[in-house]
Amino acid sequence: MNQAIEVLSPNRVISKQTVRWLVGLQLLMLFFVWFFSPTIFLPKPREVLQALSEMWMEGLGGELITSFYLNLQAIALSTVLSLLLAYLTVIPFFRPIVTLLSKLRFLSMVGLTFFFTLMATTGHELKLYLLVFSVSVFFVTGMAEVVASIPKEKFDLARTLRMGEWRVVYEVVVLGQAEKAFEVLRQNAAMGWMMLTMVEGISRSEGGVGAMLLNQNKHFHLSAVFAIQISILLLGLGQDYAIGLLRNLFCPYADLKLERK
Amino acid sequence: MEQYTYGKTLLKIDDVSLEYDGRPILKHVSAEIRDIVRPGCTQGQVVGFLGPSGIGKTQLFRIIAGLNKPTSGRVTVNGLDRPVEAGEVGVVAQDYPLFEHRTVMSNLLLAARQKEKDAKVARDKVIQHLTDFELIDKARLYPAQLSGGQRQRCAIIQQILCSEHFLLMDEPFSGLDLLMLEKTCELIQKVANMDELNTIIVVTHDVTAAASVADHVWLMGRDHDSKGTPLPGSHIVETYDLIERDLCWHPEIISQPRFMEFVREVKNRFRGL
Repeated sequence: MNQAIEVLSPNRVISKQTVRWLVGLQLLMLFFVWFFSPTIFLPKPREVLQALSEMWMEGLGGELITSFYLNLQAIALSTVLSLLLAYLTVIPFFRPIVTLLSKLRFLSMVGLTFFFTLMATTGHELKLYLLVFSVSVFFVTGMAEVVASIPKEKFDLARTLRMGEWRVVYEVVVLGQAEKAFEVLRQNAAMGWMMLTMVEGISRSEGGVGAMLLNQNKHFHLSAVFAIQISILLLGLGQDYAIGLLRNLFCPYADLKLERK
Repeated sequence: MEQYTYGKTLLKIDDVSLEYDGRPILKHVSAEIRDIVRPGCTQGQVVGFLGPSGIGKTQLFRIIAGLNKPTSGRVTVNGLDRPVEAGEVGVVAQDYPLFEHRTVMSNLLLAARQKEKDAKVARDKVIQHLTDFELIDKARLYPAQLSGGQRQRCAIIQQILCSEHFLLMDEPFSGLDLLMLEKTCELIQKVANMDELNTIIVVTHDVTAAASVADHVWLMGRDHDSKGTPLPGSHIVETYDLIERDLCWHPEIISQPRFMEFVREVKNRFRGL
């Protein structure tokens, strides 16, 4: 009874065991709704499992690897590019450029295809450019905001320790904000998967899970669509977990001050 | 009265003025701190820096630390014929900032290596300070894992390791209970007396605490016109020499009537600023 009150009260810190119970219970409820939902548009779990098995035989595994590799490449390039640009905002000259780049996140990917097609020599390159661009404009916005919100006291501390301005940048901006960089990366890596289906729809030469999803969607194979979505979700969760592990490994101090660790 | 003499000038604020958008903040601020020499003991210097809120204490604080440049005038340390540079005067800010991504040991080594190029010597210095300040068992912890008092000591060590005997402390008594306040006063005395040239400037609103640790008190304020309206631009309106008044270096001084009388005098002056 007490635990029930705890989980329904604001700002309560609950034990890991209670969290496990809570997750289990909510998943059970989700499956219950899924099993017994009266809507005809929602395929039943058995149908989805069957579709998953069929799709797997048709090469879903290979398509997932193709997409995962493309996304990984795009995330790696976007991370390097975005971090570099965000860190460069410490120099006033680069601030307008980065602000302009960040505004480009309002542009549609479809409208940029022609421009990137001229630059790319293969379908893979085209998809990579589109993804890198789409992820980077969001990544750089988030990271530039992180850099801009560093309090003055942090810079002062470094200066009172006789650090030159480049060393201040390294200590305060690069090392000091590493855990936030991981958080921004986590969010944008997830967005990469969201954009991947669009990109793979624009250039289908290499296949990929996005192209597969669009094909199934076109023919209203909802069970197959659900099966692919679940596969993407599981892969995405794995990616999220891996970035979280890296964050905990490199920034073990990150959660020490939090109420909910 | 204790025997003492004054040695060389350690820190000099020389006619410092500061303006923002043509509005004077500081006007012809001048003061100096000289080495107090007491036979038979190592005696550092502690200055209490008092003034009402919004008077420009923080601005002067930043100029003394070399973090801001004044519009005119300069601050010099150790008799050098150039303005003070950031890093020469240590700063312990109110919330004791440390690098949260580094452990206590790493924070201190970073500071020590800025001044001492020999890694082993720097490490030995850090370990010695950690032992002296009872933090040796916290060396592997991150700042977020320290208590307020431990964090304060760590921030002080970090700055002592790097600066040239000078330490500016911003509101070190703020929000402390009686026990912690006494401990902080003891800590300030301890740090000051670790080296003959150690000089601490304590910026505070707490007149009693400042007077109990300081050998001099600077009072910052504004002049007033004939109608009593404050004129723009602050300066040090009064310097109290507590040694001359025989009010420092006595362990139980705060319970003595003459000390309380002095605190009353400063408070009355403070109210008129």
